[in-house]
Order: sequence, then C-alpha cells, then structure tokens
Amino acid sequence: MTDIHTPDVHTPDVHTLHPEPGSRPAAGADAAASPVAITVTGISKWFDSNDGQQLEVLKDINLAVPARSIYAILGASGCGKSTLLNIISGILKPSRGQVCINGVLAKDFTDWRTISYMFQEDRLLPWRTALRNVEFSLEAGSMPRHERSARARDALQLVGLNGFEDAFPYQLSGGMRSRVALARSLVQQPSILLMDEPFSRLDAQTRSLMHQELLRIQQLKHMTIVFVTHDVEESVVLADRVVVLAPRPGRIREIVDINLERPRDSTRPEVTRYIQRLRALI
Amino acid sequence: MPTVLEDKIHVRTPPRQWRFDLVLQRFALVGIIVAVWWLLSLSMPHFILPGPPRVFVALSELSASGDLWLNLGITLGRVGTGFVLATAIGLPLGIVLGSQRKLGEFFEPIIPVMNTVSSAIWATFAIIWFGVSNGTTVFVVFMTAMPLIITNVWQGTRSVNADFIELAHTLRMPDWKVMVKIYLPTILPYFFSGARLAFGFGWRVSLVAETLGSSSGVGYRLRQAADLIQTDHVFAWTITLVVMMAVLEMGVLRPLENYLFRWKKEAENA
Ligand SMILES: Nc1ncnc2c1ncn2[C@@H]1O[C@H](COP(=O)(O)OP(=O)(O)OP(=O)(O)O)[C@@H](O)[C@H]1O
Ligand SMILES: [Mg+2]
Repeated sequence: MTDIHTPDVHTPDVHTLHPEPGSRPAAGADAAASPVAITVTGISKWFDSNDGQQLEVLKDINLAVPARSIYAILGASGCGKSTLLNIISGILKPSRGQVCINGVLAKDFTDWRTISYMFQEDRLLPWRTALRNVEFSLEAGSMPRHERSARARDALQLVGLNGFEDAFPYQLSGGMRSRVALARSLVQQPSILLMDEPFSRLDAQTRSLMHQELLRIQQLKHMTIVFVTHDVEESVVLADRVVVLAPRPGRIREIVDINLERPRDSTRPEVTRYIQRLRALI
Repeated sequence: MPTVLEDKIHVRTPPRQWRFDLVLQRFALVGIIVAVWWLLSLSMPHFILPGPPRVFVALSELSASGDLWLNLGITLGRVGTGFVLATAIGLPLGIVLGSQRKLGEFFEPIIPVMNTVSSAIWATFAIIWFGVSNGTTVFVVFMTAMPLIITNVWQGTRSVNADFIELAHTLRMPDWKVMVKIYLPTILPYFFSGARLAFGFGWRVSLVAETLGSSSGVGYRLRQAADLIQTDHVFAWTITLVVMMAVLEMGVLRPLENYLFRWKKEAENA
C-alpha cells in the first residue's frame, strides 16, 4: 500500500522561482526542455466596481506549474479562481504582473491553440451534433474538413462516446454533454488544459467517473492540467498539488502537495487526512 | 475505459408523421366548404355568387390560355424581388443594430413607426415615384417586409450567447468566423419567423399594389375581372392564390423549417 505522508505544506514564496516538480516526476524530452509550463509572477487584478471604487480581486499571485503535472486551484466562491484562470488563458489582462507560457511571455506567445479551456458549463452549441461540436475547436485554423472530422471522431472515442457522433446536445444526458465538452477540449491535442469547475454540475457518481476518465487521458496524453474547484475532495483525488486561495483579495494561502498514489479512494484514511487538512484551510 | 455508458440517450421522437386520419379530416373540411358554397350559389345569380362548376370552367380557361401562369409568375416575381431586397438590407442592418448597442438605441423608434405605416400609404408613394411599373409593387413589398425582418433579426442578435463568444475567443477564432459560426446560427430561427411573416404580408400587400399601380399580375387581373363583373374569374384567381400559399407553406416552408431546426427539442418545435 501507499506509504502515508503527512501533507507537505509549503509557503508560497518557496515556489515562486524554483518550482520543484510535483509528486509525479516530470518525464520525457519535452519536460526536460521546458520543465515549467506556466509561470505566474506577481499577478494582481482590480475591477472597477459600480460605486467608482476599485475592487481588488487578486493580490500578488506567484505560481509555477511544471509541465505534465496536475494543479488544483482551491478556494471559496468569489475568491477569484475564475479570474486567475482567465488571466492564465489570456482572455483577461492582469492589472499587474505577468504570465509566461512554456517560458514565453504571454504577450509574445502565439501558440494559444495548444491551450484548451474547459468552462464550468458545457457550452455546447445546440445547433451542432456532438461531432460538429468537437470539431468547433479545430475550426479557428484552416484544417481541412475531413481531417477535422477524423480527429473529432477520435476525441469522442477517447471519452467513450463513440456511437453518439450525430446526437444533438438536447438528446444527451448531463454526463454525456460534459464528455463532449471534454472531447472538444482534447481534440486540439493541447499541451495545457485549463478547467474551470468542469464537473461541478454533475451528480457525485458521474463526477467520480469523469475524474477517472480525466486521469486516464492525462496518463495517455501527458498534458499539463490546471483546474479550478471549490470541492476539496475533487482537488485531493485529482491533483499533484493544491493551491489554496484565501478570499478578498484572492491570494495564495498555502500550497499543498498530495503525495499519494493513484487511484485515490476518498474513503481511505490517508486521503481523508488531506481532505480534512484542506477543509480547515478554506 | 468504460465500454458501458452510465448515461442514457434520450430517445428522439420522430418528426410529425403523415397521419391518415388527419388527411381525411382536411378533405372533409374542404368538402363541407364546397358543399355550402354550392348550395348557396343555387339560390343566387351567378354574377353575385358563381357555383363551383362555373368557377372550375373559368379556372381551366385561364389555365389553358396560359393567363393564369403568366400573371402568377409576374406577381411571384415581384413579391420575390421585394422580399430578396428586404432580406439583403434587413438582415445585415438587423445584425448591426442588434450588436452595436449605441446605434440600436438611437434607431430603435424608427422600426415601430415603419411597422405602423399602412401599406396603402406605401402604395400611394410608390405610384407617385414609380408610376405604373414593376417598381411600385416591389417597393410596397419591400417597405412592408423589411421592418419585419429587421425587428426579428435584431431580437435574434440580442439573444446571442456571450458564453459562446467567449469560447470562440479562447480558441482565438477570427471575428468573421464568429459571425458565421455563432451569430448566424443563433439568428437563423428569428430570421426565419420574420421572413415568413414578411413573405405572407408581402403577398397580400402586392395584390393591393397591383390593383392600384400595375397593368399585369394577379392583383391587376382581379380588379379587371371585378370591373367586368366576371365574378367567376374573381373566384378562380382567389382559389389559385389560396392553393399556392398552402403549397408554399406545407411543401416548402414547413419541411425546410423542420430540417433547419431539427436540433431544437420537439416541444420547442411544436
Ligand atoms: N468583469 C468583472 N467586473 C467586476 N467584478 C468582477 C468581474 N469578474 C469578476 N468580478 C468579481 O471578482 C470576484 C471574483 O470572481 P471570480 O469569478 O474569479 O470568482 P470565483 O472564485 O471563480 O467564484 P466561483 O467559485 O463562484 O465561480 C467576485 O467578487 C466578482 O464579483
Ligand atoms: Mg468561477
């Protein structure tokens, strides 16, 4: 069985510049060439609020995500998790600080299509079949149609949805829709997958099934995953490392390594120990 | 990898089938109307209310001489031209007004005003500007159809889901593709209902325009027949129009709509 660790707790500044790889050692030539997939340095974000004042949502966030690792961003509702993810994905500009992707500053980075963003809602286009929804991710570029369709078929197969290519979203259950959304995020073969509470709307059973799926696919494709959640259990089951955010303004409270082998059964004592520890933090 | 899905597919109900009893009901309805008409016509002079045999003879005469098809074609051509122009201008205008908040707010009052102006007024203007020509009918159809199309497309543009736009943004999709792949499919159902309304109105209005400012077309022939007290011909033209609208609706619009919007839930479609 797994040897039982006490949860390692790091202070954020330790990781700012020299991140250690997570519990799973980064492997392969890719990882050796670029060990850090995402670097977030001194990110702060203010929004103009209605009464003319500025609302500070994020304060001095520093983070380094090694390639091929799974990071969870954990925090209470409204503490700026989505904002942080939006800044990493480049759809939102930080008020201060910078983001580097694969060692390149975000403003010089051009390869955005190697980054996938999976939203909290499935956001399937209702007028497209499952297959055509997955293809959507490939339509920003100029890939020929037959290749798009072949890749989309593969992606649907990967998430276990073969046979449902021609179904419209309204004909699919919540779990299946979420699989289609996952397939759409995977079809462009991203090196980085950003997920904003991707499974929070699913029932417990389906969610844990999707967790297994995600881990299986990550083992297969080795992408870097950063996912946002307010579900402590989810973060412990999936992540190599959990970044706990404190609210108002959002800042890193603690970074916790999860040194457990997978699969992680959330009823096992070593897993619940982590869960309890993290619960105390948020 | 799970081979058995825990999920179940919701079985799709097939599109409405041809129901034999329904067809029978429709025929019965037509039969009753014709029977009542026939009975009434027996007790009236034929120039007030011609009976079905008389009208049928008039109809075959018009059809045999080619008169029917020629004028039907002329009117259809005018309605079609006005309609296509209204779409060509109304669709982009509706999208622009719907997606540019400031412009939309500024021009908003114009649409209800245009919608309330009677077609007879447009027809009067048309005769002043275009005289007795194709232009008159085309103009009246255009002025009637365009506000309807703009209004509907405008509403459609406002209902575009910002989440989908954000999705396209994360994919770094160019703007024109966002227009084609997200705006257009969202607007299409709205456009369709607007266009359908516009086409129906356009038809009715075109007849009025043709009686006033034209020397051909169904409307003109209707007035001519009325002037000559050829009541059987008036009836023949009327029946032709009713049949044509029914064929367009059931043979073209309905199936097209069913196909285009098959992604909607049955409940929404009904
Ligand atoms: N565009 C915006 N303009 C103004 N304030 C914003 C904007 N976006 C987010 N905020 C504010 O920033 C704070 C953090 O929002 P954010 O969506 O990042 O929270 P979150 O941690 O993802 O919450 P949840 O778990 O509920 O999704 C909230 O107080 C929100 O009101
Ligand atoms: Mg959020």
